[in-house]
Amino acid sequence: MSKQEKRILALTSVCALTFGIAPRVNAMHIMEGYLPGGFCIAWGVLCLPFLAAGFFSIRKTLREHRNLITLLAMSGAFVFVISSLKIPTMFGSCSHMTGTGLGAILFGPTAVSILGLIVLLFQALLLAHGGLTTIGANTFSMAIAGPFVSWGIYLLCKKVRINRKVGIFLAAALGDLFTYCITALQLALAHHADVTMGEALVEFLAVFAPTQVPLAIIEGIITVLIVMGLETYAKPELRAIGFLKEAK
Amino acid sequence: MIAIDKLCYNSRLRYENAGEKFAFAVITLCICVMSRSTATACIVLAVTGILSIWKGGIPVRRYLRFLTVPLAFLFLSTLAVMFHIKKAPLDLLAIPVGSWYLTVGTDSFLYAVQLIFTALAAVSCLYFLSFTTPVPDILEVLHRLRCPALLTELMLLIYRFIFILLETADAIATSQNCRLGNRDYKTSLRSFGLLGSALMIRAFQRSGRLYDAMEARCYDGRIHVLSENRPPRKKIIVYIIIFDTALFLFAVWRRFFS
Repeated sequence: MSKQEKRILALTSVCALTFGIAPRVNAMHIMEGYLPGGFCIAWGVLCLPFLAAGFFSIRKTLREHRNLITLLAMSGAFVFVISSLKIPTMFGSCSHMTGTGLGAILFGPTAVSILGLIVLLFQALLLAHGGLTTIGANTFSMAIAGPFVSWGIYLLCKKVRINRKVGIFLAAALGDLFTYCITALQLALAHHADVTMGEALVEFLAVFAPTQVPLAIIEGIITVLIVMGLETYAKPELRAIGFLKEAK
Repeated sequence: MIAIDKLCYNSRLRYENAGEKFAFAVITLCICVMSRSTATACIVLAVTGILSIWKGGIPVRRYLRFLTVPLAFLFLSTLAVMFHIKKAPLDLLAIPVGSWYLTVGTDSFLYAVQLIFTALAAVSCLYFLSFTTPVPDILEVLHRLRCPALLTELMLLIYRFIFILLETADAIATSQNCRLGNRDYKTSLRSFGLLGSALMIRAFQRSGRLYDAMEARCYDGRIHVLSENRPPRKKIIVYIIIFDTALFLFAVWRRFFS
């Protein structure tokens, strides 16, 4: 074998290995059973106030406008479907977006917390992303922390009158990155055998960065495209969704 | 379209009482996660695997394929748990990188192995539940566990709508493919954006019509569905109690007395 042939062989086998090992890059759900019991319960309890707020806000909205229940359910299904579709990536691996940033921009963070909980439950049961014991931790990172950051950044950008597209991009991408940081923190808190907490955090961040950072950027771009599409074709519908947002 | 959903409707354990299956899966899962021991995890993995494949009739190869779904996460996070970058090498393995070491300690190695087994066993518990019990049955159990009616109702609606929207999304994606909508990276990004917004618009219109249809059929805030639940069988409850008690005692023994 000539030198060049060898090099090509090595390169292709490296590619095959990386894609063989990582057949799918999901948004970062902590898998079932990966957190010790105490942490599962603690994160679950931490979610409760947000979920309660979301629950009461939804109940109030529905009491006033009973017909919004199908819209709310469709929104939940939409977040699920958007997060289960393969998104185009540079390297041909298949990955999924979280969709919670988009949800937060469209429906507001309180409604998304409850919808996110339900979506995560279905993702665990139907797609095996995430799990039942880790649902508290996943809800906190993906349905509460991420959407609240997205929502905050979106409002902030609106206030300082940055270009709308840039604002939406920042909201979705940074919300995604924040989710990833929180997940790394959750993992580091639970698992640091030989090292300090800080070192473990850096390690988890570093290990997931190559998949999560590009994903956040792609998610930002796609969110901008979707919201722009909606604003072009669906003005009246967006106004009606405003109902979900106003009830806080 | 969702493989797990299809498999669980065809499962041979589908008509067992949902409460039994739910209780078995969740209790075993909790013991497995709380115990943090490799031996317990292996037992759980074996038992739930055998139950899903042999009793439930899930093809072995598909089951194994599903076990690889969380592998990417498992692989990456195990890397982070096992390998450390330190100035001083640890006892098991050390690869020098400049003046630092990429190193593995015995403690963190054993810890990572235990973590892998626990996680896989927990996933197999989850699979037992989702391969044998359709979502509406699980919702029925949640309802009986006093989950707020608003939540179960939302879940039921969302579950139904997921399939409608998936079908729509699939049709849109097919027609985009036909029209060279994924020709290169830029077009495929744009197509995905269009798909997302079209899907939202469709979802919105559908939700309006659906509510009208529901109201025409006397919808008063509660959706009544006939559940075809079989009554629980005493024999199976006794089996579950015996197995879980034994597993619990075993886990306690591994944890404190060995």
